[in-house]
This record gives sequence, structure tokens and C-alpha cells, in this order.
Amino acid sequence: MAERADLLQGTLDLLILKALVIGPLHGWGISKRLRQLSDAVLEVGQGSLYPALYRLEDKGWVRAQWGTSPEGRRAKFYNLTKDGRKQFAAERSEWRLFSAAVEQILEAT
Amino acid sequence: MKRLWRWLRALFHGAALDRELSDEIRLHVELETEDLIRTKGLAPEEARRQALVAFGGVERYREAQRDARGVRWLEESLGDLGYALRVLLKSPGYTVPAVLVLGLGIGATTAVFSGVETVLGHLPYPKDDQLVRIYEQNSPTNRWWLSVADFQGIVANTHTLSAVGAGRFGTVPVSAGGEPQSVTAASVTSGFTHALGVRPAFGRALEPSDDAMGAPRVALVSDGFARRTLGGGARALGQTIMIDGQAHTVVGVWAQDMDRLAGIRPEVWPALQLKLPTRRGPFGLLVIGRLADGVTLDAARRDLAGVSQQLLPLWTDFQDRNARLTPYSLRETILGDGARTMGVFAAAVLLVLLIAVANVAGLTLVRATGRWRELSLRAALGATRARLVRLVMMESVALAAAGAAVGLALGVVSLKLLVTLGPNVPRLDQAQLDGRAISFALLVSFVAGIAVGAYPLLLLVRHDPGASLAGGERTVGGGRRSNALRGAFVVGEFALALPLLAVAGLLLNSFLRLQQVPPGFDGDRVATVSVSLPAGRYPDGVAAFWSRLLPSIDQVGAVEAIGLGDALPPIAGQTFNQNNFDLIDHPVGDGASQPVSDWITVTRGYFATLKIPLLDGRLFMPGDTGVAPVVVVSRAWANHYFPGEHAVGRQFIEGGCTSCPRSTIIGVVGDVRYDGLHAPGEAMYAPMEEGRWEWGVHLFVRGWVTGPDALAAVRGAVLAADPGVSLDNPQTMAEVVNESITEPRHVMTLLAGFAVAALALAAVGIFGLLSYTVAARRREIGVRMALGADGQAVVAMIVGRGLWHAGLGAGLGLIVALVGTRWLAATLFGVSPTDPVTLALVTLALLAVALAACWLPARRAALVDPVEALRSEA
Repeated sequence: MAERADLLQGTLDLLILKALVIGPLHGWGISKRLRQLSDAVLEVGQGSLYPALYRLEDKGWVRAQWGTSPEGRRAKFYNLTKDGRKQFAAERSEWRLFSAAVEQILEAT
Repeated sequence: MKRLWRWLRALFHGAALDRELSDEIRLHVELETEDLIRTKGLAPEEARRQALVAFGGVERYREAQRDARGVRWLEESLGDLGYALRVLLKSPGYTVPAVLVLGLGIGATTAVFSGVETVLGHLPYPKDDQLVRIYEQNSPTNRWWLSVADFQGIVANTHTLSAVGAGRFGTVPVSAGGEPQSVTAASVTSGFTHALGVRPAFGRALEPSDDAMGAPRVALVSDGFARRTLGGGARALGQTIMIDGQAHTVVGVWAQDMDRLAGIRPEVWPALQLKLPTRRGPFGLLVIGRLADGVTLDAARRDLAGVSQQLLPLWTDFQDRNARLTPYSLRETILGDGARTMGVFAAAVLLVLLIAVANVAGLTLVRATGRWRELSLRAALGATRARLVRLVMMESVALAAAGAAVGLALGVVSLKLLVTLGPNVPRLDQAQLDGRAISFALLVSFVAGIAVGAYPLLLLVRHDPGASLAGGERTVGGGRRSNALRGAFVVGEFALALPLLAVAGLLLNSFLRLQQVPPGFDGDRVATVSVSLPAGRYPDGVAAFWSRLLPSIDQVGAVEAIGLGDALPPIAGQTFNQNNFDLIDHPVGDGASQPVSDWITVTRGYFATLKIPLLDGRLFMPGDTGVAPVVVVSRAWANHYFPGEHAVGRQFIEGGCTSCPRSTIIGVVGDVRYDGLHAPGEAMYAPMEEGRWEWGVHLFVRGWVTGPDALAAVRGAVLAADPGVSLDNPQTMAEVVNESITEPRHVMTLLAGFAVAALALAAVGIFGLLSYTVAARRREIGVRMALGADGQAVVAMIVGRGLWHAGLGAGLGLIVALVGTRWLAATLFGVSPTDPVTLALVTLALLAVALAACWLPARRAALVDPVEALRSEA
């Protein structure tokens, strides 16, 4: 099994938003995509995925709709709203600023 | 908004959301399983296991999800509430009495609250604080109505009143084409409705031009009258009705809820056209005014006192320098004694509520000690203290809510009861359970719930239920302290019940005495009916009518005597005349206030009809009318003004008319209680044949077998004499006497009801306490009996314990009663508010009930089998 990293507090929302930028996905799809995109380094605990999804829905950044999955099953699909896109952009630039700062500190001699 | 909706959806569709969630989780696990099979080639069983492990605790995750929905605390509270309801339903022995007792207290309190709120509340007029009623007043206790001269003087001279209006009331014959009806009429000036600030629903209000002498006669009518007689509100406009023999055009109809103005409730409102006065009196106008903006009552009082000074030199017939035009708040004058009566009710119902709450609190206390084990167990299994507090609170909430529901239902019934049975307090009949009353009921329930649930909560705060189980403690609060508290509740219940019983006892005593007061006439086989004659028809007095009516009624047969009078004894508060007089032998002197007496105008046959005995001098004779005025006085009057002297032959000046011939007293008769059975019965009689016909005269007939046939006979006889006459309110004199004490009877009945409720609650309280004591001390009693105590000793011990509580409570209650009943002094007749006999009797009654309530548990204690009692607890 590949080495895995714990998710930094607060980054989960950003990752979910990122996963949904490409298109609507159901819960398992999101976790699968995050695993793929991170080359299986990041494993999203499902116990935190769904509450996070609900939280995002509550904030109005994602919208949930029941539909039929490519596997032909009834599934709840999550969709990025307009607000969600804005939020994603904002969080992404924040994250870049943050990670650059952390990087700078760690590289300092 | 969206969030609220989502929250509500989470709250009410929790099950559906849970289902969606399950579907989502299931899908996730299935897809993961398939993925594992596909990518890693695992066996389906193993793949599913790993998928589940990867997912984590499904239940824990669901909890987290519910937390995220933000409704967890509420869902749990609802769960607790459901649990509380189940627990309560499982112990009906506690719940049913608790809910009923609480409901009773809440219902009665709510009903009385609505009544008090309506009676003491605002009048339905804009800025009702500005409205005043104006009286003539010459001493702190003597005030009377106004004269035309007074009214016109105020209108001309006031600078503090923005509007002034006068009215005159009575029952008059009114017809709209058909047979005339007796209808209450209020002739008012345009200022009357203008001051009140009300507008009719249809048509127009009265205008100043309608007040002028000789203006076309117009009238407003009530909504009820318009519907009944004129075919409805809008259609009534423009119709002509005959009021008191004169044609009036209907120009306006009042709205349905405006069925009374300034406390009076007439059906027709003709415009009052006042003649220029020729003298200061007579004083027969009700005058109201509205204070100009920013004017205080004091300023108006000074202003009107000035008007009084200006009027005094203008009229020589009235020279009372003490008499002042005095404004009073209209609200207070309408309310009158109602405030005190409603105060007595409010105090009584509050006592009942307190007793009810104490009772249920006592019951809850016992339960709380019994439930301590359950709470300890819950704590041991991981329930937090906060959760337990919530659980206990939910029980109080459920109890209070059920109490409120029962209370509101009972409130509707009790309010109806209060309004029908209740005292004749102004505006009480308008009381209804409105939103404010319902909020009040809910507030009372809330407070009662807190009071009832306080003790179990206190236990939880003081003791740690978790530690309790570990320490092997089986009960908490089952000991000395909780029992003492319970005893204190019972003592409190008795202390509260006694003053209520005392008040009810005093009122009963007072009522019985009132009932025994002789009214001063023999009402046996006497029937009475009100007769109204069109005023315009007999301008020269009633002689013409009377001479036609007398033979007409005689033909009915079995008539012994007939009389007419303008008062109906002994109903207090009627609007018969009062007159001032100045005795020649004992003049009051210049500028001083003259004495005032009830002035009853009667026909010659009046005394014989009512069998009022002649004590001195003679009665009226045919020659008495017209020449020098003569009067007959009552014994109380004679004893007041001529103590130890002969009153017959004395002379006086009537009504301040110094230029009129002097009046002479020709006879003294027995006292008739015109102002109610409680009043002394001073009266002066003038012969009716001499005076003018009054509005609302009463016909008295002795010898009729009363009943519908007799009424038909009298109606026929009177209508034969004059078809324009209207007859009203036929009664026997026994009914009239009975009606005169309706008010004290109703007040007494209602308070007796409260007292019985209090007594029953106190009895239940002490019964509960002793039953519990006997159960808890079974073993001790068994030991005592095994050691040789006999049943009697055990009974004596239990009863003694109960009576100690009851006695202590009664003692405390007596102190409260002695202080509190002083308040009743004005309501009582012939009984001191601290009447020792009454107080002793109600104390004894309370203790007797306590004894009976103690007896049953004591008997049960005496029947304890010592062997069994010792074995069961060994």
C-alpha cells in the first residue's frame, strides 16, 4: 500500500470543490477522484467526506441531486454552484499563498 | 431563509433524510466493493469487509451527519418529551390528578384574568384617559347628576374641555309602524358622541344643528334595533320611528360592537334638544366631557369649580355654596365597585392556583424520590447530568402543557360561568378568551410547571446521580428533609385555604342576614309591571290616564288594590328621583348644602297595595293634589330629621324653590328599602296625581293570581285604556325581592365554589401526605404493633400527625384571614369582617375535613399486619 498523508484541517473543502470543478460526481466518485488525482497519497475518510458535503451544501456551494450513475444506479450527485466556483477560486489562491509561505519557511536556511 | 427551510426539513423529515443517507452509504460501500473486486481481485466477501472498514463506523458517521444538520439537540429533546409522555401515561395515578388539578387552577385563573382584564381595561374610545364624567358634588360622599343650567354653563364657560355632551335615559315606547315596544332610550346632545370620538357604522353622527330647539327630530339606533325593527343597518337610514310619541328620522346606525356608550346600553339615541332653563334644577342629566390635549384632571377640576362659582348667583333656587361641578375619570365611574369585586375574585382564584400548584408539587416530590434510582441508573449508563436535567424538565413541560390544555378548555367554560353567574360588574359580559388570555394561561402554566418540577431539578443539582448508585444509596430526598418539605406544602395549602373559606363564610353569613331583612312591604300576591306612556300624550298629568285605567283593571276581577310608583323596591341603583329640601324648623342656613332624600312619587293606592303601614298622620287624599304640596315620609326619615319629635305638620322648602309654596308633612309610614335591603330606607313620598308623568312608572296590583294569564289580562286592560302604552318586565314582588339580592348571591356562590375547590385540594394534599407516610413507615408501624401498640394508638399517631399539619396551616391562615378580610368590610352586611363565630366555624370545618382525610390512611396503618410488615423488609 502506498504511503498516505493526513489531510490538513480545512483543506478537505478545497479538495472536494476541486474534484467537482470538472463535473458532477456522487460521493464515492469524489473519493475515487481525489485518490486518483493524488496518486493514492490522499485518502479521504468517508466519515469526514459526507459531513463535509453536507456542510458545503448547507453553505450553498454545492447542490445535491438524485440521478442515475454511469453504473446504472440511483445515486446522489453533487454539483458545484456559482457560489461554489467563486469559493473554489478564492480558496485556491488562499491555499497557494499559504503553501508558498510554508514552503518558504521550510526552505529557509 | 433557505437555511431555515433546510433546518425545518431536517427537523420534520429526519427519517426521510436518514433514508437518503442510508442509500448513499449503501451505494458507496457497494461501489467500493466492486472496485476492490475489480482492481485487486478480492473475493466479494472480503472486498465488502474491507470496504466497510475503510468507510469507518457507519452509525458513528450517521450521528455526525445528524449533528451537521443542526437539529440534534431538538431531536433529542423531542425524544425526551416523547419519553416523558410515555412515563406520564404509564403512571396515571400521578398524571391524571396532577393534570386535572393544574388544569383546574389554570382554567379558573385564566377565566378570572379575562374578566379582570376586560373590566379594568381600556374603554373602547380613542384616548379614553381624556374622558371624564361630571357630577355635582357637595361633600366627599354626596354627588349627583347635572341640570340643564349646569350643562349649558359648562358649555359656555369651560376652557379645559374640548367637547362636552349631555344625556338623559329612560324606557320609552318606541314604534316603527307596529305596536309600540318598551325600549331603553338615551337622548343625547351631539357633544356626547363627539366627546367619545365614535362614528356610526351607517349614516352620520349627531351634529350641533340637531341639538337646537325646533330642529327636525333625528335619532341614531343600535345595530340590534335596526336589524329587528327596521330591516337592517343601511335600510334603517331615513326611516321614521315614533319615540315617546314623537316622530324621529333615523340618520345613523351604530356598529354591532358599539352596543353601549359611556357604560349605558340604549337601543335608540334621539337627539336631545334642551330648553332654556327657568331654574337651576332639576338635576337629571348625565354629562361627559373630553379633556383638551395636555389638560390634567386637576386643571379641569379648577376650571369647573370656577364655572360653579359663576352659576351660583344666577339662580336663586339653588344656593349650595359647597356644590361644585366635579370631573371624574369616566373609566372609574363606569367601573364603580367593580374593581373591588374583581379584586376579591382575583385574590380568591390566585389562592386556589397556589393551592393547586402546592398540591401537584407535593405529588411530584414523592415521585422524584421514587425515581431517583432510575436517574442514577441512567447516569451510570452514561447520561450526562445536563441530559438528565432535560429529561426531568421535559416531564414538567409535558405536565404543564397538558395542564394548559385542560386549563384552556376549562377556562372557556369557567368564563361563561363567570359571566352568567358572576356579579353585575360593568363590561364583564364582554370578556372572552382572547389572545392575551391564552398567553396568560400559557405563562401561568409555564410558571406552574417550573414550580412543580423545581424539586427534582434541585435534587439533580445538589446530588450526583452517578455517585449515588456507586455508593449504594437507594433513595435521595426520601428522608427527613423531603418529608418536611412535603409537610410544609400541606401546611401551606391549609394556610391558603382558610382565608378563602373565611371569605366565603363571611359572605354567606352576610347574605343570610340580608335575606332576612324585611323589605318594608308585603309582596305576597302583588304583581308589578313597568308602564311607559308617550310623554306628549298627557301634558297635564296622568289623571286622565289613571281615571280610565282604574275601572279598566278593576274589570279584570279579583283585584284588591292598585297603585303606581316611580320606584321598584328594593332594587338598588335605580334612577328614581332624589330631591333636596330645607326644613323650616331646622334650616341649614345660607349657602350650606341642603339634605337630600329619595323622593318617590306614588298614587294614593300605592300604600294599600304594598301594605306599607301608616304610623302617624294620614295618607294622600283626592284633595291633596294641586294646591299646597304635601308629602308623606318614612319612619327612618322622621327619626333622622325629627328625632324624638313629631314630624307630622312640619314644613319644608322643596328643591330650593324659595318662591314656591311650602310643602307639609302629613303622615309617617313604615320604612321601605328603596336603595336595597342593606340601606336604611329613608324616603319622602309625593302624590303622583299632582306631579308629571315620569318615564318608566311601575304598576303594582294586589290580588292577582300571577302568571301568564294575569299578564295577558293586565296587558289587555292597559291597552284598552290607551293602545299607545307599552308594558315591560312583568314580575311578582317576591321575584323583585329575590332579584335585588342577585348580586351578593352570585358573588357568594362563586366564592363558595372557590372555597370548596380549595378545601378539596387541601384534603387531597393531606391525604396524599399521610398515605405516603403510612406506606413509608409500614415497618416502623409493624414494630410498634409487634411491641404491643394497638390499632387505636396507631390511628391516633397518624391522625395526630395529619392534624398537626392542618392545625398549623389553619392557624397561619387565620392570621392571614384576620388581616385580609378587612378588605371586605364594605361588601359585608351586618357582619364584622373578623366575626369570631364565622371564623371559628370555618376553622372547624377545615379541621373536620382534614380529620376525614387523615382517617383513611390511618385506618390502613392500623390494619398493617406486623408479621408481614417485618418480613417483607427484612
